[in-house]
Amino acid sequence: MKLEIGNIFIKDIQFASEARIEDGVVYVDKAALEKIVLEDENIKSVTFDIAKPGESVRITPVKDVIEPRVKVEGRGGIFPGVIAKVDTVGSGKTHVLKGMAVVTAGRIVGFQEGVIDMTGPGAQYTPFSQTLNLVMVCEPVDGLKQHDYEKAVRLAGFRVAVALGELGRNVTPDETKVYETCGIKEGIEKYPDLPRVAYVQMLQSQGLLHDTYVYGVDAKQTLSTILCPTETMDGAIVSGNCVSACDKNPTYVHENNPVVEDLFAQHGKTLNFVCQIITNENVYLADKQRSSDWTAKMCRMLDLDGVIVSQEGFGNPDTDLIMNCKKIEAEGVKTVIITDEYAGRDGKSQSLADADAAADAVVTGGNANEVIILPKLDKVIGTLDYINKIAGASEETLQPDGSLKVELQVITGATNETGFLRLSAR
Amino acid sequence: MEKLRVVHYINQFFAQIGGEEKADYPAELRKGEVVGPGMALMQKFGDEAEIVGTIVCGDSYFNENIDKATADILEMVKSLSPDVFVAGPAFNAGRYGVACGTIAAAVQEKLGIPAVTGMYVENPGADMFKNKVYIVSTKNSAAGMRDAVAKLAPLTLKLAKGERIGASVEEGYIPNGVRVNFFEKERGSARAVKMLIKKLAGKPFETEFPMPVFDRVAPNPAVKDMAHAKIALVTSGGIVPKGNPDHIESSSASHYGEYDIEGVMDLTAETYETAHGGYDPVYANADADRVLPVDVLRDMEKEGKIGSLHHLYYATVGNGTAVASAKKFAAEFAKKLKDDGVDAVILTST
Amino acid sequence: MKGWYVITNNPLVRDKLSGDVQVIYQAVSFEGLLREVRDRVHKGNTLLSHPLSGSVKPRETPYKSVIMMDRKGAVDEQSLALIENAMQACLKFEQKAGRFRPEVDKDFQLIDWTLLESAISSIDR
Repeated sequence: MKLEIGNIFIKDIQFASEARIEDGVVYVDKAALEKIVLEDENIKSVTFDIAKPGESVRITPVKDVIEPRVKVEGRGGIFPGVIAKVDTVGSGKTHVLKGMAVVTAGRIVGFQEGVIDMTGPGAQYTPFSQTLNLVMVCEPVDGLKQHDYEKAVRLAGFRVAVALGELGRNVTPDETKVYETCGIKEGIEKYPDLPRVAYVQMLQSQGLLHDTYVYGVDAKQTLSTILCPTETMDGAIVSGNCVSACDKNPTYVHENNPVVEDLFAQHGKTLNFVCQIITNENVYLADKQRSSDWTAKMCRMLDLDGVIVSQEGFGNPDTDLIMNCKKIEAEGVKTVIITDEYAGRDGKSQSLADADAAADAVVTGGNANEVIILPKLDKVIGTLDYINKIAGASEETLQPDGSLKVELQVITGATNETGFLRLSAR
Repeated sequence: MEKLRVVHYINQFFAQIGGEEKADYPAELRKGEVVGPGMALMQKFGDEAEIVGTIVCGDSYFNENIDKATADILEMVKSLSPDVFVAGPAFNAGRYGVACGTIAAAVQEKLGIPAVTGMYVENPGADMFKNKVYIVSTKNSAAGMRDAVAKLAPLTLKLAKGERIGASVEEGYIPNGVRVNFFEKERGSARAVKMLIKKLAGKPFETEFPMPVFDRVAPNPAVKDMAHAKIALVTSGGIVPKGNPDHIESSSASHYGEYDIEGVMDLTAETYETAHGGYDPVYANADADRVLPVDVLRDMEKEGKIGSLHHLYYATVGNGTAVASAKKFAAEFAKKLKDDGVDAVILTST
Repeated sequence: MKGWYVITNNPLVRDKLSGDVQVIYQAVSFEGLLREVRDRVHKGNTLLSHPLSGSVKPRETPYKSVIMMDRKGAVDEQSLALIENAMQACLKFEQKAGRFRPEVDKDFQLIDWTLLESAISSIDR
């Protein structure tokens, strides 16, 4: 499958009466977007705001981050099975509004999480301090249940992102990248001497606020399966996950999965990037066994030489990670796993809740318990009311001078387990 | 600005007093003097710090008079009120490494002055002290002095200033069990791809998170004929003859003891005690059979349940003792036990 | 499947499930509940759901619900490893449970319930 990604470099976002993209500036029609959001009767109101890199702005509590894209050639549309109708995506041509993101924020549960600081010491820990962010805070209608609220905000974010992406349909991209994988036989013939490599992505799938959707299907109800890596670039995988800001994968990370990108960079040179395998992280132990069995079985059937396994979340997924690693290695397929650590505030505790000697090649996104002071910033988008309710924060979080003493856990993307950032630990 | 004050510890060899024949050289303070490797350190310190005194001590002297030497050296260090204490680097010299680790840990713990040392990763002192003081990782001989000093000097300055110490890979110290965050040059996914390519090619690669190691030992087959078996006792519970004649340390033991129990039918409060500092010793001291069951085995010997109880037992203290040291002890006495025709061992811990 | 039960310290779970499935409710702490699960594993019961389910951290949420199989006999090694690792993992988190405002309690109960519900739906399949 072959996908052409056309990046339109976005330099600024401004509110305007007519929505368009001109010279890299996205002009946003607030009223039109508001209408799109309020299509859902569960949402009472929405406010839009813009946060730019370097500004003294804190966004919280963040729910999801989404990159606007539009399908300009080929089958299907962005977010198939969720926004676009079900159709296999990942081929043809897609335009991307590169450098901007839609950030959904709002308090869904009382311990809601997610901080994006656009400046200061916190900014270096989140990838989204570097994007021009259109932030939307959605208020639910009175009495709305948490899971309905989560769903409403999740879908509203996608609708807005798709509407913005649509603005780039007829814009000439500043940069074009081509991603292409081969069929099994074709790949063996084309790259007879290169090791066959796949990416095993574990998807968060534990229940409400911990879910991921693949073509609109709840990942916890799926068997491990195969994707063409370009499918994720068209939004085949979306996040419904609002807990554990530091190591959950926002939709933006799925669209821009760094393992996919870095394997493509080596494709045809040092390795043959065969496919992406997705598997879940269910709570029920028999599900774990089935999913990891299937993953290992597919690695064998695809005659793979090596895989990179990425995790999402803490605790329960550690078990899936180690099961996957052990079983895949047992099939004679070499593994590298990507995780993050909960080594305690002092860094002295055992980092993972599971371990095995087979996991001899580990990349870490750092210790999520490490404490950081976030100074007071001039503006807050969202609400600070619940900041001390964030995972990793506590009632003592808010310091007298207005700064926040928190663990890295609270920062969106800080210890991402797809290797999105440079943070690590030893 | 006033320079930071550094006190430096070296052995007789690096002080150019002599080799093994001078290893019994007692601890000596050379106030205001910069000796041997201190010169190279001073060069790296530049205007920021200076060595205000060098302590020289023979390796044998230190290790054979560990309590007195430690106390004396602590006094010397205290008298100079330094901002930081540096020992070594010791490279692969075992006794020098243990001395550097011991004294650096003592300075830090007893005087509250930050301390640092350097040694080769396989130096026994590294395993014993890496979790107590920062130990810069050096090459295995003094030929690596330049490289060692290049890491040791900046870490010394940071410690003296009370600055945040980065991750082991950044600062060059031997990993100490404390996970510290830092920013790599490449993002995680790129590191993962590189690691996989190396792993696939069978080339060496370095994991960023070593899995906790569980040393599993497959049990030997059961002893077939207990009634004629020679049984020995071994303990990490620190049971020693009263007075602890071999001075086994109450924690981080550096050696083990071999004791004859020929004719001993029962361990009593008058004859045996524990050297272990990691548990309440009252019950072990009152009746050491509770940890090392000589009395019960004598009974079994009489009843014919076992052939005999071996006349020697081996004891050390498990409390904080480095795994590498424990392995070394066991390898030594396991050979002795085999040579003595022992069929099985009962190993007790606490 | 027969012989399974839920052990919980979450009153919402007790109320939601009462009558339908066997629920053992104990008004204990998060760690207290894990200890109880451990003791049951020692008696031969096995774990059917992961004791560290959910991304809300131990000691942050006070609630935990675990599905177990009522069984006697030899200790199941996998269950034992899971529960012991879970108990150890608790220790590295700051004690935050009880520091939240009272209304947040309901959210913790709800999340614990939905995590459990996702496991129950796997049994019911």
